[in-house]
Amino acid sequence: MARLHVVIPALVHTFIRSKTEYPGAMVLGWLSQFAAYGSMYTAISLILARFGSLGGWVWPEIALLLSFHLLAYSLGASLSFVQFREMEEKVRMGTMDAILVKPISTWTYVVFSGLNIGYAGHIVLALGLMGWSLTQVDVTWTIQSGLLFLGYLVSAAMIVAATMTMIGATALVWVKSNHLYQIFFGFWELARYPLNIFPLPLQILMLTFAPLAFMAYVPVAATLGKPVPLLGDWASAAALLSGPLVTLIAMAHWRWCLRNYQGAGG
Amino acid sequence: MKLAAYPAFTATAFQSRLAYRNQVWSGVFGELVFMFARIAIWTSVFSTVASDSVDGVTLPQMITYALLAGPVLYWDYSRLLRDVGTAVKSGDIAVYLLKPLLYPAYMLASHTGNFLFDLLTVTVPVAIIIGFTVGLVPPASLFHGLAFLAFWALSFGMLFLLTTILGLAAFWLMTADSLDWFFNSIMILFAGGIVPLWFFPDWLATIAGNLPFAWVSYYPAAIYIGQLDPSQALTAFIIGIVWFAVLLAVLLWLWAKARHRLIVQGG
Repeated sequence: MARLHVVIPALVHTFIRSKTEYPGAMVLGWLSQFAAYGSMYTAISLILARFGSLGGWVWPEIALLLSFHLLAYSLGASLSFVQFREMEEKVRMGTMDAILVKPISTWTYVVFSGLNIGYAGHIVLALGLMGWSLTQVDVTWTIQSGLLFLGYLVSAAMIVAATMTMIGATALVWVKSNHLYQIFFGFWELARYPLNIFPLPLQILMLTFAPLAFMAYVPVAATLGKPVPLLGDWASAAALLSGPLVTLIAMAHWRWCLRNYQGAGG
Repeated sequence: MKLAAYPAFTATAFQSRLAYRNQVWSGVFGELVFMFARIAIWTSVFSTVASDSVDGVTLPQMITYALLAGPVLYWDYSRLLRDVGTAVKSGDIAVYLLKPLLYPAYMLASHTGNFLFDLLTVTVPVAIIIGFTVGLVPPASLFHGLAFLAFWALSFGMLFLLTTILGLAAFWLMTADSLDWFFNSIMILFAGGIVPLWFFPDWLATIAGNLPFAWVSYYPAAIYIGQLDPSQALTAFIIGIVWFAVLLAVLLWLWAKARHRLIVQGG
């Protein structure tokens, strides 16, 4: 088995070099994504400016929610989205067979040979908005709460990467799975608003089978000391544990799909 | 090429979409989630005000506006942008230049087929589901209903022209990947699809209300729910036609320039 500490940096370095071959397109991509998210957040801020609050959340709190959502998504998706979206094509074209026989973990190779630096625009916007919102919200920061916040972020990013992995892995068995990303992004869209504005069945769904409420709402509500529907005082612990739990499920699913992979030909 | 031949491209585009049935149900799901998110947001913020209406608009009208300004009027232009970008990047555009057709007209015919497919398989089912579960309001009057149809046609043409003009920039940039995001950022704010212009600050509403993007979502949907009286609607329609003519002239000029600018990589 190849030594990972040598192979992973080499894979990442090669991929980044391939992207920086077209620096204009790369920078344009960062700027355009920054502009698109900025525009969406401006639209949401216009609603808040007109009505004062959304589900009891005022603009600085919503800004923290949006920035946490974007940062967790970009950290998780940089490790997974584009890589696993291409899984369907790899299965269909048979190139997955070549990856399976490489002397390296298949997941590690898929993830790090396509580590997406295209999320830089997302991360810059998210950090900027988060930096501003953290100075505006009423939170007393201690070392413990700061570490807890970072833990929430890592857990949320794990949910994104794990879910993307599961969708990609499904292509190993179903051949087609990209339409499932559209469902993911449906819940992803809902995850950037306070959960309490949605009907109860949707709240339950987003805390259980489609746990994207843990991607932003639960951790941010726990940070702000806001009541979380259904979870109550368990919100903080649930926000920390949800990422590792979904990751364990994703690992089991990934291994099951690899064991049952037969190629596109059946 | 004779004009009568172009509808064949519309029919072909429609039929080719029938092969991708998974996209239909995932498309319906995506639009439903989008709509339920909008409904939840507007229901939540309307509950914070004491009266039944805000700026003369009730919650059912706002939900109807959200459906019209979103899934109905704001069709999937990304597909068109991607097609133009891919044709330029792959060099396939040279094949279109050899054919006896006008490429922008071909794109119009083809994407009319895509639009009709999405309308029948995704938008109409979503509208029916929303209508039965949440409720939608009829047009404010017969005039507003008829005016909406005219504005809908204008909206389709306007979004087609804006997207194709942007797509032709790929002739110079050699990529259309980022253009989708840039265009989306403009449309989110200035088309009025997410937030209607009457909720904007006055200065921003004045700017947005005079830019062509507002004719894609805001004016048609606002007219349907009766936010504009007949004289205002007529004025808006005339200005919209002027914008349409300007954009059409820009497209034809840009296409003439782009054809002579074409570089196929490696050739």
